[in-house]
Amino acid sequence: MEEQRIGVYVCQCGTNIAKVVNCEEVVRALSEQPGVVVAKTYKYMCSNPGQEMIIADIQEHGLDRIVVAACSPRMHEPTFRKAIQTAGLNPYFVEMANIREQCSWVHDDPQVATDKARALTFGALHRVAKHEPLERMSVEMCPDVLVIGGGVCGMTAALELADGGNHVYLVEREGTLGGNVARVDLTAPYLDSARDLITALVTRVEEHKRIDVLVHSQVSSLEGFVGNFTATVETIWGDGASVSQFRVGNVVVATGYKEFDASRVVHYGYGKLPNVITSFEFEKMLRAGRIQTKEGKIPQYVAIIHCVGSRSKEFHTYCSRVCCMTALKYAHEVKSAIPNCYVSDVYIDMHAFGKGHEDFYKRGSEAKTLFLMYAKNDHPVIRKAGPGDDCEMLIEVNEKLSGEQIEIPADLVILMVGMEAREDSDAVARLVNISRDKDGWFIESHPKLDPVATTTDGIYIAGVCAAPKDIPDTVAQARAAAGRILAKTIRGSIEIDAVFAEIDEDKCSGCRVCNALCPYSAITYDASKKKSTVISAVCKACGACVAACPSGAIKARHFTDSQIFAQIEGVLT
Amino acid sequence: MSYEPKIVGFLCNWCSYTGADLAGTSRVHYAPNIRIIRVMCSARIDPTFVLKALREGADGVLICGCHPGDCHYSEGNYKMMRRYPLLKKMLTDFGIEPARVRLEWVSASEGQRFAEVVNDMTQRVRELGPSPIQQTLAQDMAER
Repeated sequence: MEEQRIGVYVCQCGTNIAKVVNCEEVVRALSEQPGVVVAKTYKYMCSNPGQEMIIADIQEHGLDRIVVAACSPRMHEPTFRKAIQTAGLNPYFVEMANIREQCSWVHDDPQVATDKARALTFGALHRVAKHEPLERMSVEMCPDVLVIGGGVCGMTAALELADGGNHVYLVEREGTLGGNVARVDLTAPYLDSARDLITALVTRVEEHKRIDVLVHSQVSSLEGFVGNFTATVETIWGDGASVSQFRVGNVVVATGYKEFDASRVVHYGYGKLPNVITSFEFEKMLRAGRIQTKEGKIPQYVAIIHCVGSRSKEFHTYCSRVCCMTALKYAHEVKSAIPNCYVSDVYIDMHAFGKGHEDFYKRGSEAKTLFLMYAKNDHPVIRKAGPGDDCEMLIEVNEKLSGEQIEIPADLVILMVGMEAREDSDAVARLVNISRDKDGWFIESHPKLDPVATTTDGIYIAGVCAAPKDIPDTVAQARAAAGRILAKTIRGSIEIDAVFAEIDEDKCSGCRVCNALCPYSAITYDASKKKSTVISAVCKACGACVAACPSGAIKARHFTDSQIFAQIEGVLT
Repeated sequence: MSYEPKIVGFLCNWCSYTGADLAGTSRVHYAPNIRIIRVMCSARIDPTFVLKALREGADGVLICGCHPGDCHYSEGNYKMMRRYPLLKKMLTDFGIEPARVRLEWVSASEGQRFAEVVNDMTQRVRELGPSPIQQTLAQDMAER
């Protein structure tokens, strides 16, 4: 075999790696290995100068394989593949050793971390020596898009895509478009009408010639891969149902959220005390233009309780982000409708982080609302008032700032219910093959650098289904997802990873064990030749067939037995 | 110096490797004995990978995949789950304590859990002591 010329690049990631791992020592150990022509360390290997250094070395020293010991390959493998391709190498001739996430960020003993970094880099060195050049496949990119969810998010994404020239199928489970925002009166902090906002969107969506709206509908299956999905949608019409099928290249998941069930917080008496209502029930009153108790009386005391289901160790630990400003909006709306009403606002912390929010809070606090702070997990308790009291209920609050136990009167209590993942989020995640976090929200490709893409190519997430957010952030994500898709579909084709399984016909015994194992039915059997074959475009490279083949006839490209064996030898050196 | 076991971890790309990355980004520290090898799916893990790792000097092998029902390839982890008891049986036949090999489910959001699994695994293998394979190999070499 011709001798290989390998370059090894150990990234310091600023101080992220270098503060624990002795990068020079790793370089020294690697430079003594057979085949290593160049070994270097640098501040930021992913930066332009870092990449240019690798490119220049490839050209100057005739390197044919590259090892980059840096962050997770999930982060920068595409970066370095592109860089070495620029230098004329096959993009698969690079292997990364993950010495940041798997080493410097999780270990603190410098010697131990350096030893481990060296072992991981040895693993990458041994593996890259076995890499084979692979050609990526170019496949057609269908410009049509499936948008799941017809709320503000889904409608915004659909309009952006349709305005860009793509055909959109907008699928909504309910009978009307609008989602949760359609249940809201005014929006905070600028007090714009949610109804106006929804009406404008719905009108444009319904009139758009490139948007097909399917209400009362659900996506029942999604097959295929980026650029070439087939979606099956079931629509309920009165007592009948119909099934439609269409080809799409990309999917936007905009399934939103459901409100927290307030009856789960027993000390608030929701469902038992008739005048304890949720924020959405209060919105309904506002939309009807009349704030009143169940008995039809105008309330003299209104209390608003924040973080119902949110920021609690019992229910959801996260903040639902929109409730604080909505609560201030309620204080404002109650005061405008009933000027002599006493409004108390019972909160944990006032989260006023967005544009215009702090000013809105300032105005709210000047409007004679009584603000009472309670400690996390030390919830107020609501009970029915006695016959001698001039109010319906009494709320006991351990007021955090004064340290006193305070009792406040209330005729109407509004519970600011948080957002939670829909109960079908699990089914949706499986449908489109994406993951959920511990709270049930969909997981993005990267929380900071790639917030609307997912780990499945062609599937985008936007809006609250990825985590609680307000309308402006939702709109921004919807447009971001649409923008990503427009940028990808404009070229008409897409390069897909060259990683898939292939069967060596000479070794295949025709036993067909692999045929049934493939979850994508990507393996066909030629009865005349008595051989199985992998349809490469359909294969998703899991490798189940490779491990199962009794003849060792199937090769997982880029994850071959010999590559993995070499890596095992390397990490145990 | 006290005995420090070497552990090879085979992690699926979609759940467990991402979970290990999350342990990193969340700075959840864990025992440094593990050397992680990425595969696309736990179903790709050929029993020979495990045997190879043990032969090359690993004292333990950790296999991690997505939780049942959560596999990126819908059912790959079930395939691993079915291979696992056979693998354990084979190890016993070879005179290797089956506890040296372990299968765990770690999702992309379970960085903390990944760290706990690694710590627990490391402790157990430490208690088992060095793998008997190395001794056998050394004897073989000596007899030749």
